[in-house]
Amino acid sequence: MEFGESLRLSLRAVRSHKFRSALTVLGVVIGVAAVITFVTLGTSLRADVLGQVGGERAPNVYVWAGPEGQNGGPGAGAQPVLTTHDLDQLRAIEGVESVVPRGLVPTAALSAENDTVAQRQVIATSPAYFDPGDFAAGRSFEQGRREVVVNQQATSLFDRHVGVGQNVTVRLASGDSVNATVVGVLNASEGGGAFEGLGSSEPLVFVPTDPFYGTTVEAVRSYLEDESDAARLVPDDYVFSVETDQDLVDQLEELLNTLTSFITGIAVISLVVGSIGIANIMLVSVTERTKEIGIMKAVGAQNRDVLQLFLLEAVLLGVSGAIVGIPVGVAGAYLAAEYIGLDLVLPYDWFAIAVVVGVLVGVVAGIYPAWSAAKTDPIDALRYE
Amino acid sequence: MAASDSGGSDATSDRGEATDREETTDRGNAVELRNVRKTYYLGEPVHALDGVDVSIPRGSYTAVMGPSGSGKSTLLNLIGCLDTPTEGEVWVNDREVSALSQRERTEVRGEEVGFVFQTFNLMPKLTAAENVSLPLVFGGVDKNERRKRARELLEDVGLGDRVGHRPNELSGGQRQRVAIARALAADPSIILADEPTGNLDQETGEQIMGLFQRLHDEGNTILMVTHERPIAEHAERVIHVLDGTVERIEEIESPRRVETELV
Repeated sequence: MEFGESLRLSLRAVRSHKFRSALTVLGVVIGVAAVITFVTLGTSLRADVLGQVGGERAPNVYVWAGPEGQNGGPGAGAQPVLTTHDLDQLRAIEGVESVVPRGLVPTAALSAENDTVAQRQVIATSPAYFDPGDFAAGRSFEQGRREVVVNQQATSLFDRHVGVGQNVTVRLASGDSVNATVVGVLNASEGGGAFEGLGSSEPLVFVPTDPFYGTTVEAVRSYLEDESDAARLVPDDYVFSVETDQDLVDQLEELLNTLTSFITGIAVISLVVGSIGIANIMLVSVTERTKEIGIMKAVGAQNRDVLQLFLLEAVLLGVSGAIVGIPVGVAGAYLAAEYIGLDLVLPYDWFAIAVVVGVLVGVVAGIYPAWSAAKTDPIDALRYE
Repeated sequence: MAASDSGGSDATSDRGEATDREETTDRGNAVELRNVRKTYYLGEPVHALDGVDVSIPRGSYTAVMGPSGSGKSTLLNLIGCLDTPTEGEVWVNDREVSALSQRERTEVRGEEVGFVFQTFNLMPKLTAAENVSLPLVFGGVDKNERRKRARELLEDVGLGDRVGHRPNELSGGQRQRVAIARALAADPSIILADEPTGNLDQETGEQIMGLFQRLHDEGNTILMVTHERPIAEHAERVIHVLDGTVERIEEIESPRRVETELV
């Protein structure tokens, strides 16, 4: 029996019970839609997070020394052991475009006008730390000048928001105070690099290493004077960590994948329920059409012809469930993405997977009913009323 | 369709081969049953057929009569390859079908046998033309060919204007004529009719008998089960079956003729 004819007959069988077929398909529609929704959201979320992390920062490599096995992001437990000599050495390595130092300067407080707030630390680095596009206002500080850059969160530390051009006083942990001018405010989305924690909402204040770092790390500096190699400064149980943005991206991706597959697993359960629905309705269909099976066999239908007809009918139900489920799932993801404020990224390969799953669901659900139809004895079937 | 032929008139195509292959069957027989026994085990053995020898010559018109439970239907099912005998041999068109695999028997059913049932047994969702071409669908006949053949056959039984109708849009007589057209679709060696007028009023029944008469005149082999004497008298011979055995074979001197075919 030709496939086209088989398809036509099966299609007619499906269409002759429109309402019943629709209800049966609904189970698969819900399953596929749920999978597509979650996968689409997962994909969109990943694209969103990776878009923030990846992109321009991707070629960055973070280096720090911290206790071995220390948990947390880059810079966790970092100790100030890298010297200017080390920086020069690193800069000399082929392929390294620039080396940006970063250190924490312990502080007691920040004051703007008469308003003083407690601030544990400021970040000392070089102007190369910033890209011109990072600034919502102003510019980067310059080395050797008393200038600071703050992020959005830091501007609202004070009763009256600080802005570009305003003077702030940084009270160092040593008791000294340094007056400086705010020269730049970062974009809201710029939480700083990986060291600051991605998407961190901490208020951050950036200062140039000169003069800030130099004055505060005096003790360290003297400690360093004899040994210019950081390796010697590192306590025995400390290790150097070298991490690129890509490593970070990979970790995030792994986390998102785990989350997505967990939710998808739940959605797959509804697919299983859907296929049980198809199997059930196919069994009913076979019983109902026992007489037709008898007629077909009487006029020369082979067992495999009958098998093919019923299997195809089940597959049609499964596939139509998938085909309806995909746009429903995308619509669900769209609404959820709108609500969360994500940009929708469509996982096109999953649409193909959904159709394949529809076929599989049909085959799995239809195989037993179709087999029992094929095995029907024609004499009994013709007698069946 | 190489192995089938339309009836007695040109039934010479594969005789030589059949003769060489197996012990000789009567050359003129479309169907032959040799000492056929069919036993059902329903707690105790029940012999539906108990040693039946019957020959149906090519081009003949035979009726089978007997009370219910006498084994008529079993006989028909065995010839139609729907069932296999417990003992004995069934030959259809010089092939021993009782020895074939299920798959081969299905092929014989599609190509050598045409069924006409009391309850018509049409596919309810298919049109008249689709019903008629169903045996050809399973026989692997090309779509255009099928369409052409179905139309011809329906015109032949006087339903040329009902090609696209579904069974529920047709009268009982028209349905039975669709069923007869379907039985003829694969150009079978024998037409098996099981009480073909049982669900029809007398006038319509006569029309159907007229149709069978014409098919017989055209050379088709017909075997018809009935329990109505007047219907059986349209045949040339009547096989009387009782308790699973052939009681007697009656030759009808002058079979009844339907004079006006009301098609």
